[in-house]
Amino acid sequence: MKLEQHMVPICFILNGKQVEVEVTAGETALHTIRERLFLKGTKEGCAIGECGACTIVVDKKAVNACLMIAAQLDGREVMTVEGLAKFEGLNSLQEAFLEHHAVQCGFCTPGVLMSAHALLKENPNPNREEIVKGISGNLCRCTGYRHIVSAIEDAANQLSEEKE
Amino acid sequence: MGADLFYLRPKKLDDALEFLGDHGKETSIVAGGTDVMVNLRSGELKPKYLMDVSRLPELKRIEIKDGGLRIGAGVTISDIYTSPILTRLAPTLQKASYKFASKQIRNVATIGGNVAHCSPCGDMVPPLIIHEAKVVLKNSGGERTIPIQDVPTGPYRSSIDPEEMVVCFMLKPKENLFSDFQKIGRRKELAISRASMAVMAEKDVEGKITFMRLALGSCTPTPQRSTDVENLLIGKVPSETLLWEAGQMVVNKMIETSGIRSSTVYKERAVQGLFMRMLFPLVKHE
Repeated sequence: MKLEQHMVPICFILNGKQVEVEVTAGETALHTIRERLFLKGTKEGCAIGECGACTIVVDKKAVNACLMIAAQLDGREVMTVEGLAKFEGLNSLQEAFLEHHAVQCGFCTPGVLMSAHALLKENPNPNREEIVKGISGNLCRCTGYRHIVSAIEDAANQLSEEKE
Repeated sequence: MGADLFYLRPKKLDDALEFLGDHGKETSIVAGGTDVMVNLRSGELKPKYLMDVSRLPELKRIEIKDGGLRIGAGVTISDIYTSPILTRLAPTLQKASYKFASKQIRNVATIGGNVAHCSPCGDMVPPLIIHEAKVVLKNSGGERTIPIQDVPTGPYRSSIDPEEMVVCFMLKPKENLFSDFQKIGRRKELAISRASMAVMAEKDVEGKITFMRLALGSCTPTPQRSTDVENLLIGKVPSETLLWEAGQMVVNKMIETSGIRSSTVYKERAVQGLFMRMLFPLVKHE
């Protein structure tokens, strides 16, 4: 059995589509997504897991793409901010961000959206406190967070109304 | 990083241990990667091999075994937070998991990684200490079991051999008692603890403390259990004055171990305050 590999061929689902790509042993999932798969929505902020700008969703869980080894994506279901919008247009979470002015410079937005998306999948009716906890791994230096929290609250309400 | 780094993901624990037997010194074990990737990036870590153990099923279980509570090294901090067994038998560990880093990190970081990293500020360590956890280490030839306090030999230095791997933790479960974990950090989320404390206590009908475990993190080179304080309080009805005295004991022990540092003037007050805040509920008679 040959255990070790320098270039690692991996295969995973990215935003609903299967992708196959070769990555180096130590590269981050963030590098693979941005530089090999050319999805530039996921941002590199601090690169050490403090700011959350690189948040992606792997097997329904929010993770920092800067701290994940690309090879660990193999066989996983991965979602980046590009996977949110549907053919018809932005999804309700994104619409709520627009309506509530939850975006200023926009650099943190993709990461916040992914954290919010994972939160709503896990807990469709979060209260304000749970929303704050859910996105507190994401730093935003512009908005002061209030508009972001309101947007997520609104999106959650809309989603639960749609279900009824 | 670059051309001379290799990645491997053994399918079985035995394969992983065999590889460590041959290449342990040149290998970094990766589970959540949340510490390894930071150190790899900074150049602090220069392994030849990255061995991914994040999918080894042997490391993922939380179970009751031989009357003890067994937590696999690969259990994530999020798993700890959602485990009903731990709500019942190790609530302090669960409280610590809630305050651990951020959601993104909790989803992948593991309890084994937090312990093996040997940071003085590892938030899983004080709760493990008060549950008198034993750490099971395996290599390709067999296994040994050591007390949790013996894992770190200093900040970021461990007594784990390069050929060994943390496989699981064996805790003494404790049910239905007063328990708490709190920490002080510069911000709520993602804060590296400046002081952390885990406590479990039980009182009898007369209000006397019959059982007590206390551990302090982030204030000494390795997290410490405070047996002096436990002995002082056991058998007594806790009053505010007695708790203050006990808190001073924690502070004095901290200074005795770490010496006077630039942070001491802050930490002696902070630790006393943290101690009072956490243990004050014991003073009230129900």
